[in-house]
Parts: sequence; C-alpha cells; structure tokens
Amino acid sequence: MWSRRQFPAIAALAVMFVLPRVSAARAAEPREFVRDVGDQLVNVINGPGGFAEKRAQLQRIVDRAVDVDGIARFCLGRFWRLATPQQQQDYVALFHQVLLNSIAGHLGEYKGVHYVLGRTTPHDDLTWVSTTISRPNNPDADVEWVISMTGGSPKIEDLVVEGVSLRLTQRSDYASYLQHNGNSVQALLDAMRRMLANQKQG
Amino acid sequence: MPRPNPLLSLLVPLACLMALTGCAPRPPANDKDAVADYKQTNDPLEPTNRVMYKINNGLDAVTLKPAAEAYRYAVPEVARESIHNALLNLSYPTVFFNDVAEGKPRRAGDTFMRFIINSTLGVGGLFDVAKHWGYVNHDADFGLTLALYGVPEGPYLYVPILGPSDPRDLAGYGVDVVDWPFTWIGNGTTVYALEWSYYAMVAIDTRERVLDSLDQVQKTALDPYATIRSLYRQHRQSQLEAIRNDQRATVPAWFPAPTTQSE
Repeated sequence: MWSRRQFPAIAALAVMFVLPRVSAARAAEPREFVRDVGDQLVNVINGPGGFAEKRAQLQRIVDRAVDVDGIARFCLGRFWRLATPQQQQDYVALFHQVLLNSIAGHLGEYKGVHYVLGRTTPHDDLTWVSTTISRPNNPDADVEWVISMTGGSPKIEDLVVEGVSLRLTQRSDYASYLQHNGNSVQALLDAMRRMLANQKQG
Repeated sequence: MPRPNPLLSLLVPLACLMALTGCAPRPPANDKDAVADYKQTNDPLEPTNRVMYKINNGLDAVTLKPAAEAYRYAVPEVARESIHNALLNLSYPTVFFNDVAEGKPRRAGDTFMRFIINSTLGVGGLFDVAKHWGYVNHDADFGLTLALYGVPEGPYLYVPILGPSDPRDLAGYGVDVVDWPFTWIGNGTTVYALEWSYYAMVAIDTRERVLDSLDQVQKTALDPYATIRSLYRQHRQSQLEAIRNDQRATVPAWFPAPTTQSE
C-alpha cells in the first residue's frame, strides 16, 4: 500500500508522464499514420518495379489504410438503402477496383513526388492532417487527409485536394448518373463494369 | 463612349439564348429524397446547361484543346511557366481592386507588392520573384467579393467558352472585365489586337493547365457534366474559405508593432 506521503508524489508523476502521453498519442496517431502511409506511397511511386507490381503494392496499402467500404457506402448516398444485399455486395467489390484503378492511373504522374506534413485539426470525430505535395514541374498542392479513429485503428476516409473532396465529387457523379438512369442501382453497377472493362482495354 | 468589350458583346446574346431554353422538371413533392437532391444540385436549367456543355465540348475538341496541346508540345515547360506568370501579373490590378473591396488589406498589400516586384525585377512579370519574398499568389475576383458580401451563388450555369459558372460569378466576371484597367487603355487596332491576344493567351494557358485533369474526368466519371459541376462548386467554396480565413493583421511582421498586436 502507498503511504499518504508517497501518494501525492505518485500522483504528480502520473500527471507529469502518463497523462500528457495519452493526449499526445491521441493527437499524434493520425499524424504518424499519415506519415507512415505517405512514406509507403512515395516508396512505391518512386521505387523500382513494373506497373503490375506497383499496383499490387498499392492494393496492400489501400486495403490496410483506407476505409474503402465506408467510402463506397458514402458515395452511394441514399441509394445504398434502395440496393438489394446482392447489389450492395457487388457495388462494394466494384468500388474497390474503381478506387484502386484511379489511384494506380496516376502513378506515372507522381514520379519524384515528396510531401511535407502540416497541421492536424480535429473535425468532429474525424481528424484532418494537412500535407503539401510537391512534384517536379507542377505547382505545390495542398492535400488534407481525413482520418477516422472510430474503428480502433486509423483509416483514411477522404482526401481533400485543393479544397475538393474526392468522395463528395464521386458521390455527386454517382447521384447524377442514377438520377438520369431511373434511380436504378443495377444501371450504375453495369456502368461501373463497363468503365472498368474499358480501362482494362485502354 | 468606350467601345464595348469583345467578350461582353458575345456573352449577352448567349445569356438571352439560355433564358429562352428549357428547365429541369421539379420532382413531385411526395418524393422527398428526389426533392432534396433537386435542391442540393441547384441546377434548374440542367437541360439547357447540358446542351451548352455538349456544344462547348464539341467546340473545345476542335479549337481550344488542340491549341493547348500544340502549345504544350511546342513551348517548353519553363517558358510556359513564365508566360503564365506574366498573364497572372497583368490581372493583378483587378485582383488588387477585389482585395480592397473584400476588406482584406494584407491581401491587397501582397498583390500590390507582387505587381511591383514582378513587373520590375521579374522582368514584366515573367519571373515570380515576389513568391520567394513571402508575397504568395492568391485568388480574388468580383464573384468571390460578391459572395463575401452575402450574395448567393444562384443556380448553376454552364456558359459556352467560359465554362462552369453561376449568375453571381458571371456578373462578377463582367465587373472584372470593366474594372481591369487595360480594358480602358487607348483605342485603335493595336490595342484591340493586344486585348484579344491577351484573352486568347489566357484561354490557351488555362486550358493547358487542366489538360490532364479534364481528360481524367472525362475518362473516369460516369457523368462528367455532374462531376465538373461538383468540382466547380467545391473549388469556389474553397477559394471563398481561403479569403474568409485569411485574418492576418494589417501591420506587417517587420513593423515595430505595439504589444497588443497579435498575428
């Protein structure tokens, strides 16, 4: 048992070392996470290997770091509820490929890329980590990484590039397509399949 | 009486044409989700806008796009950057006017210094010297100024040649043509030719800078029209936020400021 005399000292120690660590860890975690993912991406982009190999490496990073299922649901908006369970499943599977393709499609353009971490700002239950991305012959771009910590481990929920949210843009694309195709989720799935097939050919 | 600006004389008949063509049907009131979508999209002129978008794309494919591609092919990156800087520099009187109208003295100061430094040391604006001295480029136009005054953007408009817009930004564009001092300088064929070359160069430069991203949108979006609409609105919103959040104190950092002054 601690004596009465020891207790304040232990409490002070706890306040000095343990508590700041907890809060610092909370703030640092999304930042460290972005640094970690950013370094991995830069290594893949600037590293050796052919396109297929790099794409596979990208897939591993995306699967681990990005909340693809959550983003997919967000992008379908109110139509998620209108989709049958089978359509939901197909849609999420297609969305994984669409997302990976669109990232892999930019690989070549980002050769020689590097980035600088900026400030970290909490937004409700999400944390925005800002970075400045520089690549040769291009103006610097401000990219905000939207990180959620709700699932236990940090996950990327969105990227906001120069003020443009990628998931919001995707959502308005799908919403408009659905609106002009009789609100049919099946039509959207077919269109996504066609687009993926075209990309494979191209 | 001053001669009307070439762009304005083009835009007025176009605006009339747009007013004459169709509107998107409002969804029935009992379909709440559809009504919410309709309101959020805020594009009641969508059928007309889509026609304009198509016409514009058709024109673009045979005019501006090949011109921008040729420009990229023929002129090296470094030279294009310098031309871009020079065009930007010529627009600073307008940017300055809007910085002042927005009540943002630090931004006005930045623009003023950029114009002075880049016009002289930067050899007529070809080199962005001011950037390295802490005077970074920023956006300002009368559409954004009106937004800061609380004028709503209004319904989405797709305007031929100018592209995505809305009544507020279109009116802003008209005002900026008028508040650009070079609109009022001199008369005669040479001035006229220079003015047109300036607008043509701005168009080619702007198009060249979005060649890749626009290609990407047209290749990967299921509905490129809607994607561009969303991109335009988000971009304008972020420009507006940037102005709103720029709360730098008016007294520069090097000035022996009173202790109460905080950055």
